[in-house]
Amino acid sequence: MRQYDLITPEGTKDYLFDECALKREVETKTRSIFKSMGYSRIITPALEFFDVFHQNSLYFPPEELCKLTDNKGRLIVLRPDSTVPIARVTATRLKEAMLPLRLYYTQPVWHFAPSLKGRSTEINQTGIELIGASSRMADIEVISAALEVLSSVGNAVSYSLELGDIRIFKELMLRLNATPAQKEEIHALIESKNYPALNDMLDKLGEHKITDALKKLPTLFGGEEVFDRADEIFQDSRITEILENMRELYHTVREISPDCRITIDLGLVNKTDYYTGLVLKGYLEGYGEEVISGGRYDKLLSEFGYDIPAVGMAVNVDAVAAVIGKKNPPVHAAPDVLISAEEGCEAEAVRKAAVLRAQGLCVEHSMFTDPELSREYAKDRKIAKIIFISSEQTEELEVTIHE
Amino acid sequence: MNNKPLRIALTKGRLEKDTVSLLESLGYDCTAVHEKGRKLILPIPDGNLEVVLAKAADVITYVEHGVCDMGVVGKDTLMEMNGKLFELVNLGFGKCKFALATKKDYPFYDGFGIKTIASKYPNVTKAFFEQKHMDVDIIKIEGSVELAPLLGLADGIVDIVETGTTLKENGLEVVEDVAQISARLIVNTVSLKMRQKEIEDLVKKVEEKINDKANQM
Repeated sequence: MRQYDLITPEGTKDYLFDECALKREVETKTRSIFKSMGYSRIITPALEFFDVFHQNSLYFPPEELCKLTDNKGRLIVLRPDSTVPIARVTATRLKEAMLPLRLYYTQPVWHFAPSLKGRSTEINQTGIELIGASSRMADIEVISAALEVLSSVGNAVSYSLELGDIRIFKELMLRLNATPAQKEEIHALIESKNYPALNDMLDKLGEHKITDALKKLPTLFGGEEVFDRADEIFQDSRITEILENMRELYHTVREISPDCRITIDLGLVNKTDYYTGLVLKGYLEGYGEEVISGGRYDKLLSEFGYDIPAVGMAVNVDAVAAVIGKKNPPVHAAPDVLISAEEGCEAEAVRKAAVLRAQGLCVEHSMFTDPELSREYAKDRKIAKIIFISSEQTEELEVTIHE
Repeated sequence: MNNKPLRIALTKGRLEKDTVSLLESLGYDCTAVHEKGRKLILPIPDGNLEVVLAKAADVITYVEHGVCDMGVVGKDTLMEMNGKLFELVNLGFGKCKFALATKKDYPFYDGFGIKTIASKYPNVTKAFFEQKHMDVDIIKIEGSVELAPLLGLADGIVDIVETGTTLKENGLEVVEDVAQISARLIVNTVSLKMRQKEIEDLVKKVEEKINDKANQM
């Protein structure tokens, strides 16, 4: 029988040294942004009952869920998302808590990816949830957190933030006379901006205001001019109101971050999303997918019996780290000092190390008793300084680094 | 702010030729593509474009991962691969269809037995029969699929049909059309947003040209 004891499953990785440090750095940076905004950390279990993710308003493709069973044969999944478990906790243990709740998380999610596509099964995420607030300020708070995260990535990478509102699509679909199967197809075609197929499909349903508006919907993306174009297309009071709100939101965000590229896409209609209003995405140059994804989800908590609104967003830590790593490959920081002690002088070596570490230096003990081997090791590790400790004397020595 | 050329991946072969002549009719200088030799990445300097030549399935992969901003690929490969990208324009060329074919006069839909289908496109085949609520065995074949029913391996095939000559010469016939196929212009989801102006300008020019052609015919 083949033993798989030396490899990890497809889509998972061991992160070593620089790559690991970079990921932690991104996490620490985003975490400090969230903390400074008053968010508290929450940890939910990696394992959840399948039922948590199997609700009316949720769709997680079953083939992507990592499933196992518990000792009673019940179906368990590795969490594919952190927002849903947080909604579950809020609707149960936090039902009496003062609103709004501000929670953040830093934990992986799991999705089985199609084979050999270069995608990860395990994705490290960090994100925030602002629960129990439906005001414009709540949306703005989450958007501003996303902007902070994007700008913290550094000035070497250009980034952009995109806003949408799923309600426009939902209003139009509500008024469209079509079968559920047709509606599902239209949804997919708008999501993939498949203009030709969408036009054909809608032509079959007749020529009227609604089909015409749906045809235009995926083309409505770009800067502020999108609102003017949208105003011409949608002559519905409900949609006009949504657009008006969005335009105001857009202006506020522009004011907050005048230098950031902020765009609108009214055709942001991800099929697997549970969003009910604002949708936001963050992009970094050099990464083929969004690195930030979020929005308002006012119906999710009611699935767990607690009918309150919420808004949040998640950052793909792996993606951000990959972009940073490519632009500015991390420079490996070598330890500052190597202490090489003669046998019998261990206590002194440890004392010396403690003194140096208290000064903020990174100090390693040599595991060799032969000074020559210590020297070689220091050279290899690019450690600039060796301290030799023997019973007779303490001798400090600079080791030159060869490039 | 961005002077990097737009990278467009073309499916090697006929679609590449059709796309290059489309680009030339738009006034782009494609000399480098004509004189490519063995090179796979070729500049179109006056359009700030860069052409990448790849196999159909790889065009989708490169565009999906964002290492190419756009691509030209057949709907056949898009249907089989199912990537996350924007499918903006039906370019109109490279027309053919997916069809279900069997030996001539073969009673494919008769009886209750499970049918076996050979295809180079197992996902397309699966989706087609799922939508018919038919349970079929699908066998993936890499080369000439027409052989499978002739050798008795399969009851039918799902394959690309252009003129139908190959089918006819081998005593096969189309039972049912599965889907119409033509070349598509695909765009990476982030590129469209980050480089909207450049991409939309190009798309607009392409669309105008295609409509002109369609009107002339």
